[in-house]
Amino acid sequence: MTVVALVQDLTSAGFVALGLAIAFRWYREKGRAQGKLTIALVALAAVALLGRLPQSLLLSLVAVVALMVSAYFVLLFRDEFLALSRRAHWAAGLVLAAGILDGVLLVTVLQHAPGPVVTAFGFLYVLAWALLIGEPVMRFWLASNSLPAVQRTRMRFLSLGFGMLIVILFVDVLGGSALRSPTAIVITQLLALATVPLIYVSFAPPSLVRRIWRMGEENAVRAAMQDLLIFSPTRKDIAERAVFWAVRLLGGTGGYILDAGGNVIAGERNESAGPVVRAPLHMREGEGTLAVVAGTFTPVFGSDEISQLRAYANSVSAGLQRVSVTERMASIEKNKTQFLNLASHELRGPVTVIRGYVSMLEAGMLGHLNERGRKAADVMSAKVSEMNELIEDMIEAARLEEGGVTLRAVDTDLRDVARAAADAVAPLVDAKHTLELDLSDRRVRVLVDPDRTRTIIANLLSNAIKYSPGGGEVRCQVRLRGGVARVTVTDEGLGIAHDDLAILFTRFGRVVTPQTEHLKGTGLGLFLARQLARLQGGDITVASIEGKGSTFTLQLPAISHDGSADVGRKTPADAMSFTVPDSLSS
Amino acid sequence: MGIWFPGTAWAPGYGPLDRAIRGRRLLAGPASGIHILMIEDDAAIAEMYRVQFEHDGYRVSIATTGEVAVAKLVDGEPDLVLLDLLLPDRSGFEVLDLLNERLPSHPPVVILSNYGEPSMIDRGRSLGAIEYLVKSRVTPAEISRQIPNWVEQGRGGGQPES
Repeated sequence: MTVVALVQDLTSAGFVALGLAIAFRWYREKGRAQGKLTIALVALAAVALLGRLPQSLLLSLVAVVALMVSAYFVLLFRDEFLALSRRAHWAAGLVLAAGILDGVLLVTVLQHAPGPVVTAFGFLYVLAWALLIGEPVMRFWLASNSLPAVQRTRMRFLSLGFGMLIVILFVDVLGGSALRSPTAIVITQLLALATVPLIYVSFAPPSLVRRIWRMGEENAVRAAMQDLLIFSPTRKDIAERAVFWAVRLLGGTGGYILDAGGNVIAGERNESAGPVVRAPLHMREGEGTLAVVAGTFTPVFGSDEISQLRAYANSVSAGLQRVSVTERMASIEKNKTQFLNLASHELRGPVTVIRGYVSMLEAGMLGHLNERGRKAADVMSAKVSEMNELIEDMIEAARLEEGGVTLRAVDTDLRDVARAAADAVAPLVDAKHTLELDLSDRRVRVLVDPDRTRTIIANLLSNAIKYSPGGGEVRCQVRLRGGVARVTVTDEGLGIAHDDLAILFTRFGRVVTPQTEHLKGTGLGLFLARQLARLQGGDITVASIEGKGSTFTLQLPAISHDGSADVGRKTPADAMSFTVPDSLSS
Repeated sequence: MGIWFPGTAWAPGYGPLDRAIRGRRLLAGPASGIHILMIEDDAAIAEMYRVQFEHDGYRVSIATTGEVAVAKLVDGEPDLVLLDLLLPDRSGFEVLDLLNERLPSHPPVVILSNYGEPSMIDRGRSLGAIEYLVKSRVTPAEISRQIPNWVEQGRGGGQPES
């Protein structure tokens, strides 16, 4: 008997302690919802305490009323999160009244009634209690599925605790004398005692317990934080992700991010849904806000969640900050290319006018020029052609930097392209130079972009002229041999030292020697020529002897008789996806 | 684009517009009689081309905005239109689009632009321009030499449907 009494005392003490602890917590941190749960648990504690006091009618009456009240307040607690309908309120009130009446009868007039009657009334009493408490218990359990780890576990512990109490009470009332054995009493009492920590923890989980519950989620959150720091397509994406995780972290129904100016940059600002937790986002332009709106099932957020939200908010601000930096960098890069593009297009206008008038002066259209005037016009013409080529190169470089050059490949006779290129550089040919076109007798069919190919050959020709300041012959030969079309441009100029060949084709790569330092150039010409040749499935190679001259060879895959290109030509898709080499973007 | 509102001044006979046209008409030499409408807002470029074309015996009108150009086209009947793409009020493409809509039998159009992007060339051609030239790549004399061909092309082949 002493063991039974001890266990009963222990259980009562457990419930009383629970009631006191909860009441104390509520006293420290008041809230409507917790208030109701506090009443429920304090009432339960009272029932447990009264059970251990000497039996008396008054105490029994207080106990049956208190037990029913505790169930009713659990229902009201649920009502705080998911409002009950009017009808449900009426029904609950009715059940409460019926339960209390039943209990009162049980401890008064039915005290000495026959066993089955007592059992029946006892069953009805427990049924009323179970109805009041069972509904919220079920609701909490079901709702917990969509909640974040901590909230979910809290809800489940609460459901589990009260669910166990329901079971114990039913078993107790229905078990009758079979459960009056000391062993059975000890077991039920111990089970009841076990619900105490369950309920306590659900009400006020210590941070250690929270952390254990959250472990699974922590990893996901950590991954989300890492994502924020390393993966960031756009500011909007980052913000959307941040809101998603913040909501999940706290188990809210929604959330949003405000920038420093108070504008919503992600999520939806709907504060009527429930209480809102906010964490500051420290950004360069000022302080923004990360806010999570509490959900219907989310009991007020714990301080733990709030501090976690703050920590998370720091990652969010860092992520947003980083994105705006990369976005700014990208826009600077873009601006650079746009500038190159714009500047070169803007230059075309004035060059058109100068070139036009110079050509008219040369033609004598604007009046007769004397010898010196004609010479001046020739020089201007040559210089303006150079300028024109430079502009064309700048535009082409800008296009390459923009990430893709679209080639218009057409069936072309390479001899025509060479002729056009020779015409283009004709103004550069002065008295010291001769430009000889040595074209194949047969057609040299290639599938190329004629304009780009003309640019390539013109660049080779103008280089040949420019780098043979002493004059001499520049020879442009077009041949078709073994399925490969070749344009070789040979000069008798300065030549290139073997060691310098490597930098020839790099962007802005110019070979500067005492002989060439006075020659102007951007170093874009050969770079563009080779890039354009490669885009079309060809290449440019060079052979040179210092002091004797150079030979540049443009190779392009020729079209065979069946109309297809012979050599492994790049498909248009390759050309489209041409990526800018590092040297370009530096 | 290509929306025309009744009451806008593009229809013929709206006086102020005609006065707004800054272009000059000169009698062409008896040999050609070809009338060129140049739609170009850069006065220096327009003047330069005018010098060349008049030297070669063509009659030249200059319109500095798209709106003036359309009025001009409805009014007089040039034999050839040289169209710049960058105009103060609308793009040359829009002008061309509008022409196709309002004057299906408009004279041949050659685009003269500072832009040589393939996409723009395609667009110009799809709108029915018979030629697309980048100004800085051709001299006025080269353009002038081609004018009879273009006019002939316009007369012979009619207007390509866009």
